[in-house]
Amino acid sequence: MITGTGIVKTFKQRGNVLAGREVRALRGVDFAIPKGGAASFIGESGCGKTTLGRIIAGLESYDEGEVVIDGTAMSGLKPKQRQPHFRKIQMIHQDPYSALNPTRTIHQTLFAPLSLRAKQTGRSKSWIEERAAEVLALVGLDPGSVLARYPHQLSGGMRQRVVIARALTVDPEMLVADEAVSMIDVSLRLGILALLKDLRERLGVSVLFITHDVATARYIGDDGELYVIYRGQVIERGAVDTVIADPVHPYTQSLLSAIPVLHGLERPGEEPVVPLSSLDAADDDTGCLFASRCPFRGDRCGERPLLQVTEGFPQEHACFYPERRSVIARPLSEV
Amino acid sequence: MAEQAPGVRIGGLTVVYKTPAGELPAVRDVSLTLEPGSITGIVGESGSGKSTLALSLLNAVQPPGRIAAGTVEIDGLGDVATFTGEELRKARGKHIGYVFQAAQNSLNPLKTVGKQLLDLGRSHGVEDLHGLVREAKELLGRMGLDGARVLDSHQHELSGGMRQRVGIMLALVLNAHLVVLDEPTTALDMITQANILKIVREVHAERGLTTLVITHDIGVVAEVADRLAVMYGGRLVEQGPTREVLGRPRHPYTKGLISAIPRLVGDIDEARALPGRPPTLATVPKEGCVFRERCALRMDVCDTVDPEAVAHGPRIVACHAVTVKEHA
Repeated sequence: MITGTGIVKTFKQRGNVLAGREVRALRGVDFAIPKGGAASFIGESGCGKTTLGRIIAGLESYDEGEVVIDGTAMSGLKPKQRQPHFRKIQMIHQDPYSALNPTRTIHQTLFAPLSLRAKQTGRSKSWIEERAAEVLALVGLDPGSVLARYPHQLSGGMRQRVVIARALTVDPEMLVADEAVSMIDVSLRLGILALLKDLRERLGVSVLFITHDVATARYIGDDGELYVIYRGQVIERGAVDTVIADPVHPYTQSLLSAIPVLHGLERPGEEPVVPLSSLDAADDDTGCLFASRCPFRGDRCGERPLLQVTEGFPQEHACFYPERRSVIARPLSEV
Repeated sequence: MAEQAPGVRIGGLTVVYKTPAGELPAVRDVSLTLEPGSITGIVGESGSGKSTLALSLLNAVQPPGRIAAGTVEIDGLGDVATFTGEELRKARGKHIGYVFQAAQNSLNPLKTVGKQLLDLGRSHGVEDLHGLVREAKELLGRMGLDGARVLDSHQHELSGGMRQRVGIMLALVLNAHLVVLDEPTTALDMITQANILKIVREVHAERGLTTLVITHDIGVVAEVADRLAVMYGGRLVEQGPTREVLGRPRHPYTKGLISAIPRLVGDIDEARALPGRPPTLATVPKEGCVFRERCALRMDVCDTVDPEAVAHGPRIVACHAVTVKEHA
C-alpha cells in the first residue's frame, strides 16, 4: 500500500531571466494505491501528473505532505534508508529508445540488476541466467532470440517489453508507467497495455498509469481508480468506468469531449463541453483553478473547491456545481 | 496559378532509399487523387512511407532517397516530380504549404516569429511586406492568437499548441491553396488537439484549400478528413470515404488497426492488438503482399503476387482475399 497526503511541490526557476518565478506543480494532492491495486493519473501536459509519478517512484522530492510506503513514512528517513522502499516501485518511461543503453545487449542490461540482487540474497550465478529468461518470458519475449541482441535490433514494442522486464528483475510491488505506450506503433500499443494488465493479475503488481489518453486508462482494470489532475490539483477521482461514463467536473467533461469521434462507428456525445479559453490564458491562482475556462462558472467559484463527495454522485469531485453530462462518443451499434 | 483549390493526381509513385543492401522502396507504386477542395487523411504506422509520400508532393525527398518512378500532377503547376532548382523553390511555400512534423521544433530559436515571416516573404520576392505582416496577423487572430504578440515572440515563449498554429500560419500566409500537414497534433494534449483540428477544418473551408493530413492516429483523420487512405509497408492498401472505411473496413490491415483502438465504452477486451509487427525498410517483402505476415486471410497467392489496387465503387482496396470475395 502506498499513500500520499497533502503533497505540495513548487518548482523555482533559477539562473535565467525567469529567475524567481514559481511553478506550482502540485497543490496538496492525496492518493492511495492499495497493494495489487491500480490507479491512473490523467490530465494535460504541465498538470503535475508526471511530477506526482516521480515523487511516488522516489525520483523527486516534495515540499509538504507525506508519502507512506507499506506503513513507513518517507520524509523522516535518510536517503539510504529510503532506498529499499522505493526499490519496490519501478518506473517505465515513455521512450523505450532512450531508456536502454544502446551499447549493451539485452543480456547485459538484465544482468546488472540481477547480479546485485543475487549478491544481496546469496544466490548463485545460474539463478541470474534463469531469472533473466524468466522475466523475458513474463513479458512475452523469447529469451533465446532476444538475450544476445542490442536495443537497435528490436522494434519499439519489443524494447518497451525489455524495459518492463528490467523493472521486474527487482521484484517490484508497483510499476509506474508514464505515457508508456505513446511512442509505440498503434497496432502494438494494445499488446503493451494488455501485458501490464496481465502482470497485475498474475503477479499482483500494482500499476500506476500516467497518461493523457483517457481510453488507455481503462486498461488498468475496472477496479482501478482514475485521478483527473488540473494545474496541480486532483479535481475528480473515482472508479475508472464511472468517471469516464459519468463525469461531473466540467474539466473532466471537456477532456473527454476533446477525444476524436470515430465517425462511421460512433456518434458524438450530446452535451460536449468546450473550454472557453486555452490553457495558456489560465493563470489565475485564486478561487477555482478552472473557473476562467469554465462555461458553467457560478457565484461560488471565487473560492477554491475541495475534493469531496456530495450527494448523488459516487465519485469525489472539486466543483461547486457538479452535474452529469453526456459527453463521450457512443458506438453507433448502441441505441 | 488559379486562386482556388487545386486537384492533385499522384500516379504510380515509387520512392527509393539507397542503403548498403541496394535501393529499397519506401513508397511503392502508389496512386492517389486529391480532389480539389477535399481533406484527405493518410494513416500509417512508423515506416509505412506516409511522410515520404507527403514530401514527394514538394519533390523534397532528401538523398539518399529519390523519386524513382511516377508522377505528381498538381493543377496549375504541372508534374512536380520533374521540377528542379528555382522552379521547385518557387512552388514550395507559394503554391504548396507544408506544416512539418513537430512544428514545435521547426522554428528558428534565435529569431522572432516575425523575422522568420519576413525571411519567408523576401525569399519569395514579396514586395508588400507590410501586407504580408497584416495577413499573418489576421491568420493568427483567426486561430485565436494575439498576432502582434506572437510575431514579437521567440519560439520558447510559445506553447506547443501556439507553435503549431504558427506553423499553419507560415504555410498559408503566401496564399498557398494546397496544404500538407504532417502529424499536426502529435505531442499535443487532447484539448489542444481538438482546437487545432477545428482550426484546420475551418481554415480549409474559409480559404478554399486542398488539404492532406498525414497521421498515425485514426482519430485525427476521423475528425477532419473526407477521404481516408491507409498505408502499410510503402503501399496504399485501402482508400475511400472516411465514414465508410471506418464503418466497414475491407482490408484486413485496416480492420486490425481499427479494432486495436482502445475505446471509451464497451468491453475493453474487444480491442485487440495486431499480431506481429510492422515491417521496416529492410524487412518489407520484395514480392507478394506486404501485410501477409500478419494477415489472417493469407492465401498462397499472397506470397508471390503483389495485390493490385482494385476499385469497388468509391473504395479502392489492394487485397487478394477481398478481390476474390468480390468476384465470387
